Amino acid sequence: MSEKVLQKANWSSFVQALADARELWFPVKDGPIYKFAPYSGDVDAGLEEYAYSSVPPKAVVLPQTETMFLYQVGDKEISLPEEKKEKVVLGARPCDARAMDIVDRVFQWDEDDPYYLENRNKTAVIGLACNEPFVNCFCTSLDGSPGSTQGLDVLMVDLGDKYYLRSVTDKGSRILGDAESALEDASGEGSQAEEIIKEAEGKIKRSIDTEGIREKLEEGWEAPLWDEVSRACLGCGACTFLCPTCHCFDIQDEVEGFDGRRCRMWDSCMFGEYTLHTSGHNPRPSRKERTRNRISHKYRYYVEKFDKIACVGCGRCITSCPVNIDILDILSRVKEEL
Amino acid sequence: MVDLETIRKKAKEIVSREDVKHLIGWRKGTFGYRVTPYWVEAPEDAEELVYSPLCNTNLATYLTLAEKLPLPKGQEPDRRKTALLVRGCDSRAVVQLLTERGVDREQVVLLGLPCRGVVDLRKLKDSYPEDNEVADAEWKEDKIVLNVSGEKKEIPREEVLDDHCLVCRYPNPVEADETLGEKVEPWAEESHPGVEELENASFDKRWDFWEKEFERCIRCYACRNACPMCYCEDCILDRLNPTWIYRSNNYSENTAFHIARAFHLVGRCVSCGACERVCPAGIPLGKINQKLVKEVREKYEFEPGTDPEGVPFQASYNPQDQEDFIL
Repeated sequence: MSEKVLQKANWSSFVQALADARELWFPVKDGPIYKFAPYSGDVDAGLEEYAYSSVPPKAVVLPQTETMFLYQVGDKEISLPEEKKEKVVLGARPCDARAMDIVDRVFQWDEDDPYYLENRNKTAVIGLACNEPFVNCFCTSLDGSPGSTQGLDVLMVDLGDKYYLRSVTDKGSRILGDAESALEDASGEGSQAEEIIKEAEGKIKRSIDTEGIREKLEEGWEAPLWDEVSRACLGCGACTFLCPTCHCFDIQDEVEGFDGRRCRMWDSCMFGEYTLHTSGHNPRPSRKERTRNRISHKYRYYVEKFDKIACVGCGRCITSCPVNIDILDILSRVKEEL
Repeated sequence: MVDLETIRKKAKEIVSREDVKHLIGWRKGTFGYRVTPYWVEAPEDAEELVYSPLCNTNLATYLTLAEKLPLPKGQEPDRRKTALLVRGCDSRAVVQLLTERGVDREQVVLLGLPCRGVVDLRKLKDSYPEDNEVADAEWKEDKIVLNVSGEKKEIPREEVLDDHCLVCRYPNPVEADETLGEKVEPWAEESHPGVEELENASFDKRWDFWEKEFERCIRCYACRNACPMCYCEDCILDRLNPTWIYRSNNYSENTAFHIARAFHLVGRCVSCGACERVCPAGIPLGKINQKLVKEVREKYEFEPGTDPEGVPFQASYNPQDQEDFIL
């Protein structure tokens, strides 16, 4: 473990050093939203105004669309896309890194998924602790914290005129080594960082006691609650696509002229197409079953398999829902009514 | 305008009717400025109804969104009516659906409400950030009054209203079984916000503009689903055989998606702005739809959702129609 300090005056040389060593992904403002994109050389881009990315950094390791292989129609040969590069994600929020840890388990529990794992293993994550939590944050209800290091390689804490950086993994130490010229050794900033994180924890206003939810979800399968909480749902994919732990994908062949590619892309259990059988039958025919699945997957099915809740409390699904379907509202009703 | 007690009282009366299943309105949300669509089933539920500039969903979309599932053997279908709170734009959506026969007039009860425009939450974001506290809002002359934790903030209407509402010419319902309160005097001349600016830009500039916007699309289809006019049971976007639009998220496919959606709304879009308000990527979808609204209006003097007895745009033909686009 190494502890370093980055003076904000040295920000651009730090960023440049990271970008020289690896492909750097950075939160960039795109219209009214933030998303992670390859660093474009704009060294003035800082993390000052950035709250959290609307599209979570899961998109770096599990891109919305990923080419698996390429082919020519009528030809039996396939070719592979370009090899993935070593990447570093700068400025991910701790909850988003914890989410990657949750998704990691899915892609290696039976068979190893080479596409995801190659990407994931080649990606290092530098997290930025949240000094000011956001309106719908509830990470502390799910064993998280604004300064959690789970899933991170380096934790970074904003101390005003400088950042405190602490490596969590060996990969993290190597990354800090690459940018050594921009960094100074820490001297007591660690405790200041701890205080900031503790203070931030106290600012989180939303919460849920998850005790017993899994059992209730099992018992209350047919409860009228599901009709009530899904009625306003528009059936769009905003909650799932913007969720850092949602990882469902579809695989399709896309052909232009004779150029074919097999790719996989995010899919959403909120879409009718998701469970549609070839016969035309759909075991989840309405928004009721789909809403129940979204909640049950995170708070029951994943828990049964991995002994862990597949939600990190980032609050994106709450904030981005156009009709204010609120997972905390649903969960507290599950606890009370089922 | 109209006071909340009158709405609640009337809603109670409507849901007490034997031929009415429920009434769809709004109630307070769970945080900040959020308001959520709400189903009043029993008369006492009506106490939770709210009506404010924060009610930004077009409720007409729920008339066609409800899934029609096969019933268990022996169970009779529920033939009771759905009641709906409608403002100008919601009622125009219902009227458009009526002319397309997407909705049966006998199956809906429309309770009309005058409206002075809804707030665009994106315009509140910087100056009045959302808090955990559930805030309230009301119309007061030419202002919007926000009530956050007991503290009242008066904001000029034009600062925070949705662009579509700023130029709305139908603040009163065009069709309703009963309209409550006093009619609102329309405030705007016909105009199509954001369209002229793009029309005057060069081809390359326009292309660059939309390339940047569509690249950001996450293909969640919130715009399609929030739109009361998008109700095809078999949507072109969901088709796999043939796959008209690939699922890949890239500029090309995203553009194909948005062009397809825009063209399916020609002569049908009622300018409620719901698509743009729900977009999590902040794409100015209204600009595309408004361009088409403007074209249809100028070339055919047609305005959708204004005449319950009318015929849909695509089904109407007039020998005097302009044909200057035919090569």
